[in-house]
Amino acid sequence: MRSSSTPRELFRLDYGGKFEREIARLLASFEEINFDSGHYPKRWLAIKLLEGDVDIVERVQAMPNGESVLALAQKGAEHLKSMLGDDVDLLTADRRYGYINGVVRQSLQRPRLDRITLTDRIDDIVTHKWLGLPFFFAVMYLIFRLVIDVSSPFLDWTDAVINGPIANWITLFLNLIAAPAWMHSLVIDGIVAGVGGVLVFVPGLLILYFFLALLEDSGYMSRAAFVMDRFMRIVGLHGKSFIPMILGFGCAVPAIYATRTIASRRDRVLTALLVPLMSCSARLPVYVVFGLAFFGARAGTVIWAMYALGIVVAMVAGMVFTRTILKPDVSSAFVLELPPYRQPAIKSVLIHMWENTREFVRKAGTVIFAASFIMWLLLNMPWGVNNQRDSYFGQASNMIAPVFAPLGFGDWQTSGALVTGFIAKEIVVSSMSQIYLNGSSTAPVEPTTFTEDLASIGGGFITAGIDSGKILLSILPGVDLIPADSQSEDTALSTALREHFTPLSAMSLLVFVLLYVPCVATLGAIKHEFGTSWAVTSAIYQTAVAWVVAFVVYQGGRLLGLG
Amino acid sequence: MSASVQLHLLRPGQSATIVQIKGESALRRRFAEMGIIKGEAILMERNAPLGDPMEYFIKGYHLALRKEEAAQIEVILLGDANG
Repeated sequence: MRSSSTPRELFRLDYGGKFEREIARLLASFEEINFDSGHYPKRWLAIKLLEGDVDIVERVQAMPNGESVLALAQKGAEHLKSMLGDDVDLLTADRRYGYINGVVRQSLQRPRLDRITLTDRIDDIVTHKWLGLPFFFAVMYLIFRLVIDVSSPFLDWTDAVINGPIANWITLFLNLIAAPAWMHSLVIDGIVAGVGGVLVFVPGLLILYFFLALLEDSGYMSRAAFVMDRFMRIVGLHGKSFIPMILGFGCAVPAIYATRTIASRRDRVLTALLVPLMSCSARLPVYVVFGLAFFGARAGTVIWAMYALGIVVAMVAGMVFTRTILKPDVSSAFVLELPPYRQPAIKSVLIHMWENTREFVRKAGTVIFAASFIMWLLLNMPWGVNNQRDSYFGQASNMIAPVFAPLGFGDWQTSGALVTGFIAKEIVVSSMSQIYLNGSSTAPVEPTTFTEDLASIGGGFITAGIDSGKILLSILPGVDLIPADSQSEDTALSTALREHFTPLSAMSLLVFVLLYVPCVATLGAIKHEFGTSWAVTSAIYQTAVAWVVAFVVYQGGRLLGLG
Repeated sequence: MSASVQLHLLRPGQSATIVQIKGESALRRRFAEMGIIKGEAILMERNAPLGDPMEYFIKGYHLALRKEEAAQIEVILLGDANG
C-alpha cells in the first residue's frame, strides 16, 4: 500500500475542536522535549495516551523521556475530562461510532428490527420462561445418557479387542523371543492391563466431545449461559463461568484455561476452584466400572447422580467461598452476545473431538504408561515378593489405609489405587485391575489365527454398533429393545470388586473419587494461572470435602441400614 | 421531549433510543465495545427464565444484559412492536 512518490493523505478522524486542541498541545510538547516515539505514529500515540490505554502507557514508560510525556498526557486527559465531562476513551469511542454510523447509514440497508428469524423461534422455546430451564436440564441429561449408554457396547468391544487378540499377539511375540516370565508379567499384567484399562474409554470420550462440540458450535452454549446466569449468581459466579464449568465435564485443564474469558480476577479464581468439582471424563471410567459391577441396570442413574452431586457440592463450596475468602468485588459485567444458531460444521466438530481425545490417548501413552510401569515395579519389589501385601506398594498403602476406614474402604488395595489417582483419575481403574487381578488373568492362550482374530474384531465392532443403535432407540420413551438380563456382562474386574466392596462402600468410593484432589495436571494449570497458594488451597479443600462427604454417605447409609 | 427511563424497565417488545449511559468507566467502556452508545436504537426481547438477565436486540445482534447493568442505561421509549 505504500506509494513511493507522494504519500497518500491518511484518513484522519476529527475528534472535535477541544479534543483536537489537546492533541495538538501534546504533539507540540513532544517536539519541545524531543520525544522519540519510536515506530508509533505521533498523533496515534498522543490519542492513546490521552485515552490512558494501559498497554501503551506501560510501553511509553520504558522509553527515554517517557515519564515526562506521561505526566503531560495525564494533565491533558484531566483537562479534557473536566471540560467535556466524560472519560477520554469514552469520548473517542463516541466519536468513532458516530463516524461509523454515518458511513453505514449512507451505504448499508439494515434488516428490519422486528423480523422474525429461525433463531428467534428457537429462542422462544429454549429461553422460554417455563420451558427454558427444563430444556437445559433435559439436554444435559440426554447427553449423559447417550454418552454412557450408547458408548457401552463399544467399551465392551474395545475391552474385548485389547484383552483378546491384542494380548494374544503380544504373548505370542513374547514366546517367540523366549522372554522370561517376569517380562510376560510386566507387559501383560503391567502395561497392557494399565494402558488398556484406560484406552477402553476412548469410545465414550469421543461421544462426549462430540456433544460438547455440538453445543458450542450450534450457539446453544451462550443460551445456556443466559438461562443459567441467575442460577450461577446464587453461587457467586458469572454466567460466563458456565462455559468453563461445562468444559470441566470434559477435562479440568482446558476448563481452567477457559476462565481467561472472564474479566474479573475474583470470578476467575472462584471458577477455577469449582471447576475440578465438575466430574471430568477421567473419573468416568471409575464410575462405569463400579456402576456396572454394583448397580447393574441402574448404573446410568448412579453415574448421573455423581455428576449432580459434583454440581451440588460446587454450589455449596461457591457460597462458602463467596462469604469467606473470595468476597465479590466490583461486579464484573454480564454483557454477552447471543449469536444466531448455526448448523455445526462436521469438520469442526470432528477436529474438536479428535484434539480432545488425542490429549487423552497421549496421556495414556505417556503418564499412564509410566505409572503402570512404576506400579508394576512397586508391586513386585522387593524382588521375588510373593504376596502383594508385602510389596513396597502394599506396605505404603497399608500405612495410609486407616484414614479411609471410616469411609468403608480401609483396605490397602483401595488406598493404594486412590493415591495413584492423584496422577490421573483414570489410573484408579488401571491400578485396581493390576492389584485385584494379579495372577488370575493369565488364561491359556487359545490358538487362533491372525485372520480369525481380525474377523472377530470386525464382527464385534458391527455387533457393538447394532447394540448401541438399539440402546439409542430405547432412550425414546416406550421403546424397549434390550432384554433386561443382557445389560451387564461381567468383566473379571467387576467380579473381583464385588469381593472387596458392598454397594454402599462402592458408592462412598465413587463419591470420594468424584471430589478428592484434582489430578496433577489440573493443579499445574491452577498454579500457572493463579499461583502456588491457590493450587494448594484447591488440593486441600477438595480432599477435605471429599473425605467429609464420603464419610456422611457411608456412615449415613449404615445408619439407614444399607450396606 | 419525553422523560427518559432505565433500560431494564422496558417490557418485551418495546423499543427505545439510548440517551445516556451511566456507571463506572470500565462498564461504559465495555458497553462502547459492544456498540451500546448514545443514539442507538435498542429492542427489549425477553427475560431469561429466572427473570434476569434480559435479552436485547441492538445493531443487528442479540445481547444479554443483567438487570443491574441495564439499569445504567437511560432510554427514551420509541414504540411497542406488540401494538
